[in-house]
Amino acid sequence: MRARGMWPRHAALLVVCAIMLVPFYWVVKTSLTGENIYAYPPRLLPQAPHLFNYVDVWYLIPFPRYLLNSVIVSLLAVGGNIVLNALAAYALTRAFPGRRWVVLLLLSCMLIPFQATIIPAYLITARLGLLNSWLGLALPMLSTIVCIFVFKAAFEAVPRSLIDAARMDGLGDLRILARVLLPLCKPAIATNVILSFIWSWNNFMWPLIVTRDPLMQTLPLGLARFLSYVEDTTGALYAFVVMVLVPGLAVFLMAQKEFMRGLTAGATKG
Amino acid sequence: MKRRTFLAATTAAATLQLARPALAQSSRKISFLTWNIADAADIVNSWIADFTKARPGVEVEWLDKKGPELPAFYQTQLVAGTPPDIINTQGALGLEYAASGALLDLTPLLARQADVKARFNADYLDNWAMEGRNWMLPFYISKSLMFYNKTLFAKAGLAGPPTSFDELMNAAEKIGTGDNTGFITLNFDWLYWPLFAMNAVQLLTPDLKAPAFNTAQAADVMARLARGTQGQAVDKISWTGRWVEPLGAFAAGRIGMLQAHSPAYYFVKGQGPWVNADTLGAAQMPGNWATPNSHGLGISKGSKHPELAWEFITFITSTPQAAKLVNTRRILSANKELDAALLARLEKEEPLAAAVLRTQVEHTDRMCGNWRLAHDSRIKEAFYPELQNVMLGRKDAKTALADAERKVARELRRA
Amino acid sequence: MSTLLGRQGRQTAMVACFLLPSLAVFLLYRILPLGWNVWLSFQSWSPLHPAQFIGLDNYDEMLRDDDVFWTALRNTLVFMSSAPIAIVLALGIALLVNSDLRGAAIYRTIVFLSYPLMTVAVAIIWRWMYDERGGLINFVLRRLGLVDKPLAFLQSFDLAMPSVIAADVWQVLGFHMIILLTGLQSIPPHLYEAARVDGAPAWARFWRITVPMLRPSLFLCAVIGILNSFSSFDLVYVMTNGGPGHATELLITWIYKTGFGQSRFDYAAALTVAQFALLLVLTFLAHLASGGNAGERA
Repeated sequence: MRARGMWPRHAALLVVCAIMLVPFYWVVKTSLTGENIYAYPPRLLPQAPHLFNYVDVWYLIPFPRYLLNSVIVSLLAVGGNIVLNALAAYALTRAFPGRRWVVLLLLSCMLIPFQATIIPAYLITARLGLLNSWLGLALPMLSTIVCIFVFKAAFEAVPRSLIDAARMDGLGDLRILARVLLPLCKPAIATNVILSFIWSWNNFMWPLIVTRDPLMQTLPLGLARFLSYVEDTTGALYAFVVMVLVPGLAVFLMAQKEFMRGLTAGATKG
Repeated sequence: MKRRTFLAATTAAATLQLARPALAQSSRKISFLTWNIADAADIVNSWIADFTKARPGVEVEWLDKKGPELPAFYQTQLVAGTPPDIINTQGALGLEYAASGALLDLTPLLARQADVKARFNADYLDNWAMEGRNWMLPFYISKSLMFYNKTLFAKAGLAGPPTSFDELMNAAEKIGTGDNTGFITLNFDWLYWPLFAMNAVQLLTPDLKAPAFNTAQAADVMARLARGTQGQAVDKISWTGRWVEPLGAFAAGRIGMLQAHSPAYYFVKGQGPWVNADTLGAAQMPGNWATPNSHGLGISKGSKHPELAWEFITFITSTPQAAKLVNTRRILSANKELDAALLARLEKEEPLAAAVLRTQVEHTDRMCGNWRLAHDSRIKEAFYPELQNVMLGRKDAKTALADAERKVARELRRA
Repeated sequence: MSTLLGRQGRQTAMVACFLLPSLAVFLLYRILPLGWNVWLSFQSWSPLHPAQFIGLDNYDEMLRDDDVFWTALRNTLVFMSSAPIAIVLALGIALLVNSDLRGAAIYRTIVFLSYPLMTVAVAIIWRWMYDERGGLINFVLRRLGLVDKPLAFLQSFDLAMPSVIAADVWQVLGFHMIILLTGLQSIPPHLYEAARVDGAPAWARFWRITVPMLRPSLFLCAVIGILNSFSSFDLVYVMTNGGPGHATELLITWIYKTGFGQSRFDYAAALTVAQFALLLVLTFLAHLASGGNAGERA
């Protein structure tokens, strides 16, 4: 009976997935053939697919070096986000004078478009002496407001009684956060990891401005190589896009188990 | 207390580890910002190697940025007071930077070295001249031309490329049936302007102080193009596409004529398996009008080593060095000697490429669509959306021209 | 009494220490740049010319003389509709995949797939999808006999904006889905069990438990959605460059064009301040709509 009730769900999700997959399929298909996407009528199946474009990407840009930079910057960003956001979110769950104003300040901080901050942000980073450095690349992304609120919402869903009990046991704030709240809020950690990783991984404009040294460039900046002016690199462009996508997806896959943890735990209890 | 020490220690360690600038400062270092030629790394690096070999203690830093992001990077560096010593720009941007005071006047340097000036095709060198001063040297050059699909031409019973606006539109209408369209053009950097130039439409008065385009003639041209766009004579992508789209569409073999600059040839050839000398033709646009979209080399006024920067740009545009770029990439440099040699060689190796490139060195006196203005991009931003309004059927030509005239006049007043 | 004060003092110190690192990042990269923009908006300045105070001239030009500003403002508000569309869709999907449904993990991954994709690639692919003659959508519509003449999506003044919105929804759906999934996961399952025991039907459980418990996440999605529509620069810039005829011009693309395109950073700063003010008002409204408790549980 239960299985039959599932059918409409599968049908709805299959439609959604088809819509999500079609443009993506063309990215992958083009990466395997390098054929003209404007060919008419559109060809559904790739003709003579090959992986040469992927090999090309590896050699056309200093791929290992860019990858290293991207990985380090993203790890810094992910680490910074988990620690800084959890701390800030925990503080915001406590009552203190002016809390409402801090919340509003944080919200309004989100409202400034990055494009309008490029010049002052560059000047500040230069003043800090962090141009062309991994830290300089990661610094603006070390804490993100969205993710603070993700933590905050999760912390607030933890029953008050648990925290009070921990406090009775003499645990300090840091311990309560690390030992009680965070283990209970794995979905929020997973979200933090996924989002901060992807934002930092795909960041384009900031690394473009802040790195002058080619050795410090991150992976997305390799894009220029494939949109070059006098050369046709269509197939390699899409192969590159897929290769940049893969780590973000891998992080999502690894972290997504955490989404379901709470539910299955609840289900066995219930 | 323990925590604080720990934090301080890790912060210090992290700062040391991460904040170390990757390059040490050297005594004489110049930087070279290029526009989207990351694929020419071998050539650029060999220039730098050859240049620094003869000059001990000199270092050249190469930076490459993709077209749309280059202005953001360059201007940020300007504000920070660290502009790259040498900058490569495409199209009219160099003139804008020159007019806003970012570039060094190269006139006295050129006057000092007659041999440098003599290298270049004078018309291309003039692309970056303003009020009698030179601001950039040609790096590699191109201007627009007409590519045409000979198969579609034959099918429509057309003998050869059109030689007037009327013929062009008639040919486009004949070809534009079924899934085919007649004509498509690139539109960025005023690349569509030959369509107006061939009809003797002027954008501005000769003193560049007032709009001159609001004429009955211009309205007719626009209306004709708009009618074509509503049907299948002119592809709508002409007025909205960038680079990949129009070229991809033409390479798919469904479009009769493409107005684009010469690098389009290599893209079309790569994407269109049908392309060969029997199927693809290259010709001048009617009236031999073309919009240049060349790459120039300038020196930032903020450069700390302008003499060295000058040495570098004269070095890489010298015949033996520029030959590396010209010969391997098969592009023109405005270096007269090299370009002639390349054309002669291609004539034997790849006649079609030679035919395309020959258009680039012919009729160089009929280049249009570049105005010596400090605020070219503002004029374009005022004019172009009104053109789109006509082409895609939101406004009639007369109304749009009047609106555009008002907006362009306002920008000219302000600038 | 003294211990109470001591505890409160400690609490305030803890709050300050915990907030400080994040606030420092925001101070450097958000608040100072905003201040720079506010200051600049009253000046006449470009990278090579010293600043000169000109009072409200930039704002005067913006409000009285710049048609594009008003068009961009209108378009931005229209573009904002992508937020509720994406959120409602994402909520539906999140509810569907937040279960022991077979293959839920695969569905989640597929829906999420588009979010980490580089926006440039998204824009290029969607431009092709929408293409009048070569594009997939028109190909399918014509094969199915739904249209006689292909639709020029991005070349039409009426269709360009909805087309861009659809592409945007496509890209951000996965983002909203995971925010909402996180929210759904923090709802204690026993609430549902209790309601089920009470015999509450599914829709009642949805309205009485899911929606109220999900309010912080929904608020977050709403704010991010609004924000996204004010800052999704790449997609629009690459897909339409604000065209045709400013039909898809957003405030953010106009800010970028006037700033980096035309070297008018002073004027772009005034536009930025205007956009900031508008966003502040909208966020405040969202704040009121969510019951006056920004991001907080009811």
